[in-house]
Amino acid sequence: MSSSTKRHSMMPRAGQLPKAPVNLSSSVVIHDNAVLTGNHTINISSETVIHPRNKLDSSHGRVTIGRRCIIHERVVIGAPSADPTKGEFGVTLEDYVTVEVAAVIESGCTTIGEGCLIGVGSRIGRGAKLGKYYQHCTITARSVIQPGEQLPDYTVLYSNGTRRTDKRGVTDLKNKAQARQIDVMRRLIPTNINRFKE
Amino acid sequence: MQLQLPFRKPIASWLRKLVTKMSSRKQVKGEYIETDTGNKVSRKANLIGTQHIMLGGKTVIMAEAMVRGDLTRTVSAQGSSGAAPQSNTSIFIGRYCFLSRGCCLRPPGRIYKGAFTYMPLRIGDHVFVGENSVVQAATIGSHVHIAANAVVGEFAIVKDYVRILEGTVVPANMVIPSFSVVAGQPGRVIGEVPEGGHEQFEMREMYKTVGNNIPPPTAPAQLPV
Repeated sequence: MSSSTKRHSMMPRAGQLPKAPVNLSSSVVIHDNAVLTGNHTINISSETVIHPRNKLDSSHGRVTIGRRCIIHERVVIGAPSADPTKGEFGVTLEDYVTVEVAAVIESGCTTIGEGCLIGVGSRIGRGAKLGKYYQHCTITARSVIQPGEQLPDYTVLYSNGTRRTDKRGVTDLKNKAQARQIDVMRRLIPTNINRFKE
Repeated sequence: MQLQLPFRKPIASWLRKLVTKMSSRKQVKGEYIETDTGNKVSRKANLIGTQHIMLGGKTVIMAEAMVRGDLTRTVSAQGSSGAAPQSNTSIFIGRYCFLSRGCCLRPPGRIYKGAFTYMPLRIGDHVFVGENSVVQAATIGSHVHIAANAVVGEFAIVKDYVRILEGTVVPANMVIPSFSVVAGQPGRVIGEVPEGGHEQFEMREMYKTVGNNIPPPTAPAQLPV
């Protein structure tokens, strides 16, 4: 009796949403509980890690994720924005991007440059561009980036809107650390990419 | 939305106990699974890697709370007090803790001895974690109140009797002394818990408000705050 109720709750939620056409590298790690939905293509490049309960939604435009990104749990990428006009693409994450727990990235030509860190619970508005060359910005927890906002390279956004420039020059180290982290994640997160492929 | 607990193998012993207990007793299809030690875990809670999660007892985990037990330590901690090789538990939760809807507990991770590893997250007794809060601390003491939408950064250490107000962002590696009130973005100590104020941290009453049979049928008002 109890097992019947439990089994019911085991129904994969992903099944209810339309599967998105995906283009996944074979070295991608995606937890089974993540959801890839929408009708545009979702591209994920090699060695990217996607944690459980993520939602990548391409129904408002293409979603592209670069190499060695880490997307933590409960992140929504490609969330609908207030402005319903469709962009050329949905969301682009370049290489080495980290998106922490429960962040939301709206869809509509949103570009997150290489090495950016999007903190816990942040919200990135549609069409925002992080970095002049779109690189290495740090968005601390619970920050909000307005739609269309552009941030120069190495910007640190903290305290709900204050900015400064990251002059530490630790980009290479950070990228190395990210690679190490991905190695570990590979061991910890069970993955079955075929589940997401059609 | 999925309930993973009883299907992961190996199941943590408390869960195994619970399953036997549930099947022996007349089945009540409540929202919560209640264990021998009095833990109340919502069926809609999202526990990942249950075998690495330790619950002290009388702990409430509400729906959609997420606990990442699967992020375990991957570098063995040599030289930490020469004790027997530690089990790979990644999250320790004490007694009378209350994890509200939508909160998220995950162990902090860092580079240690040249390799990346997650470190265990330890939570004391009578700890309240508000809705949609994210806790990535190293240690949370006892009698700590973390209000809704707060973020506790990686490797933060929160001592006993601390109140973290709503929307606070506690930066990584911050150490919060006992009896502090913390708020802001980034979080700062803005005051002290007044004398005698520590009684408000008691979670026993709140524990009683949640469960399968306890709340009156009309009142969905189990939510704290």
